[in-house]
Amino acid sequence: MLKPVASNNPFADPLRFDRRVPDCALVIFGANGDLTKRKLLPALYRLAYERRLPDSFAIVGNSRTAMTDEAFREKMHESVKQFLEDSPFDEDLWNSFARNIFYVAGDLNDAKLYANLKTKLDELNRPNVLYYLSTQPSYYGPVVEAIGAAGLGRSTEKGWHRVVIEKPFGHDLDSARALNARVHTVFPEEAVYRIDHYLGKETVQNIIAFRFGNGIFEPLWNRRYVNHVQITAAESIGVEGRGAYYQEAGALRDMIQNHLLQVMATVAMEPPAVFEPGAMRDERAKLLRSVKIMKPDEVHLYSVAGQYRGFREEQGVDPQSQTNTFAAATFFVDNWRWAGVPFYIRSGKKMPKRTTDIAIQFNSAPHTLFMSEDGRPPRPNLLILRIQPEEGISLRFLSKYPGAGMRLRPVSMDFNYGSSFGERSPSAYETLLMDVMIGDATLYTRQDMVEASWKAVTPILDDWTTRAFDFPNYDPGTWGPVESDAMLARNGHKWRNG
Amino acid sequence: MPATLEPEKILKDLRNLWHDLGRDAEVSGGVLRACGMTLVVAAEKDSNTEELRHTLGVLMHDHPARAIVLSMNEKPGLDANVFSQCWMPFGKHQQICAEGIEITTGSMELAHVAQLLLPLIVSDLPAVLWCRGPRVFSGDPFAPLLPLVQKIIVDSATAADPQAAIATIRVLHREGRHVADLAWTKLTGLRELMASLFDEGTAVGVTSAKIFYGGDVASPSSIYFAAWMERALPGAQVSLNRGEEGPRGLRSIVLLGDACEVTITRPDRTTLEVHCGGRIRRSTTVLLSEEILMSEELSILGADPVFDKVLA
Repeated sequence: MLKPVASNNPFADPLRFDRRVPDCALVIFGANGDLTKRKLLPALYRLAYERRLPDSFAIVGNSRTAMTDEAFREKMHESVKQFLEDSPFDEDLWNSFARNIFYVAGDLNDAKLYANLKTKLDELNRPNVLYYLSTQPSYYGPVVEAIGAAGLGRSTEKGWHRVVIEKPFGHDLDSARALNARVHTVFPEEAVYRIDHYLGKETVQNIIAFRFGNGIFEPLWNRRYVNHVQITAAESIGVEGRGAYYQEAGALRDMIQNHLLQVMATVAMEPPAVFEPGAMRDERAKLLRSVKIMKPDEVHLYSVAGQYRGFREEQGVDPQSQTNTFAAATFFVDNWRWAGVPFYIRSGKKMPKRTTDIAIQFNSAPHTLFMSEDGRPPRPNLLILRIQPEEGISLRFLSKYPGAGMRLRPVSMDFNYGSSFGERSPSAYETLLMDVMIGDATLYTRQDMVEASWKAVTPILDDWTTRAFDFPNYDPGTWGPVESDAMLARNGHKWRNG
Repeated sequence: MPATLEPEKILKDLRNLWHDLGRDAEVSGGVLRACGMTLVVAAEKDSNTEELRHTLGVLMHDHPARAIVLSMNEKPGLDANVFSQCWMPFGKHQQICAEGIEITTGSMELAHVAQLLLPLIVSDLPAVLWCRGPRVFSGDPFAPLLPLVQKIIVDSATAADPQAAIATIRVLHREGRHVADLAWTKLTGLRELMASLFDEGTAVGVTSAKIFYGGDVASPSSIYFAAWMERALPGAQVSLNRGEEGPRGLRSIVLLGDACEVTITRPDRTTLEVHCGGRIRRSTTVLLSEEILMSEELSILGADPVFDKVLA
């Protein structure tokens, strides 16, 4: 998947040189926030450590707090040291990296901020400019419009101007459409990079390699052989001080509408003709458009909301909150490949463990020759794509237990990233920041994908916002409300709670 | 072949090694056996074993492999023992271990070693032969091992005669083998700088490139660099010249282009300076160690189109 340094560069050696970022400046709105400190700056530092950034690469941070360049650098220095994962911190490298870190204070609603940014960008004179919106979602529209009004948005002959927008992109279908319209008044679609960091994870990208790089799985990847698919994203922690934000979002909006539906699209999409951003995104979008939209009377059958005991006592949370900290849904895909195959998706907080995986359960053998040790028909084959915490792939199949008699036991054939490729994979933000700076949108979501995934969850949102749930309905440390198990049991299925 | 060096016996020793590791790890978070290839290392007689072990230990993190170290010995005869290289990834509770086999062999037994290696190479995964030292350039000592591997890594900088060493590499390349030379790998940072100078418009429209080397004869890296420049700039005049007094190796490059006369120098082992129109730009590079060079080569197990063209 490496790309050439530049197609017309006679010195290019794509096998040896990492993808190179052109001379550019990155403007981060919300630079005093957690995302910048925990993810963005550590990822950028790591890219610098790997010599993927040009020496001239500049960062301009913005937030309301008044601060000098030096104070901002010091703050970022501490953050990178604290949050850098699996990497050594090199003080000399930091000093050279930090020389091009700047800070412009200002209120996002104040036109003066954008005038000051323009002055700073003119002074830096980088041909390419990337804006990263790491602000509260309500600022996305106004900030983009203000960038446009200040004349900072349009790409020029000298270089490109792009914008990265964090999730959530809208809070429902209408608001997503409205936001798209506002953003497009300044940036054309090809300059808009809607980030979904799940798509930047190595294992999610590996789904594509696994499916389309190997010949043996794709023939089985359809309704004839696949019984159902389970996608689980469980967190063992609660809202951890993000109660105020979280109660506006909930698990359905925070995880399922974006991350998990994108993962499902990657698992279920048709093979693209070529590995190119447009082709890949077309297939993902087609899949999302094929998700069967629930009828209002189906919502209670195909979705379950939950809230853990203790959520209402969290700081900033309404004591009567109706927010879902657990959400599960059954989706069907209306196409030839997947007709009738349920895709069960669930996400929750305060679950027994932190795990994200995709389990593809195959149909049982058509004729049962053997019984398992407990005298029941043996469990069917299961393919598990593990996203976190241990990235890898496992295939469960049956094997004869050694000794006399024909006793069968399920065994697991495991591929672990660490055992084949060493210990370090780039973080999702490293991958995605590199991609946007070299103009590769493969792992970013497009307008039609965002709108299609909002459409898929709209009936559930419509139902849940008008219903009064009997919350809380599950204990911390459990796999969610019992209704979630019942949702699968109706189809004769059961969650994997391993 | 002596009875003590039956491959089955070595494989059994490996199984026992994993059994012991697994038992030791029962109290901790367990052990993960890591293997993505077989790396056969042909070490020289006077090779520094500690240094080699360190290099392998570092390499295993990014390229976990079954390492088979062939230690050359003056005395005839074969001997073998097994070992493991383990590490605990940052923030994890599970150890990752890679396995190794050290075979001590006299020069006369190399043909037997090939026979012994075949069952020891991990099936269906790539196998790489790293000839660590100049022996590969004298005669054909490793010929019996070549059919067993997909890639051969040598270092022509260790050879007394660079031209002859490169000629040997060209022969291997012409035979259709994937061959790598660490003298070429050392140029990656400099070549990357050239690519970035082109991207930013500094090295555009180059009509002449003069490459200067130190020492009495051009080093393999200088020869490769000149060949690469000729390929990259077919219209330009490329010359390889002896430079001022100084240590052996590539010293400086002078490019005549549209933007300015560009001079690239290496004032010390980790700095590259670009002089252009009175401006000086410094880039710091990492100090190239054996493990960094090897790690880069182990990342490329198939064809290497740019180096192939340089060898052609």
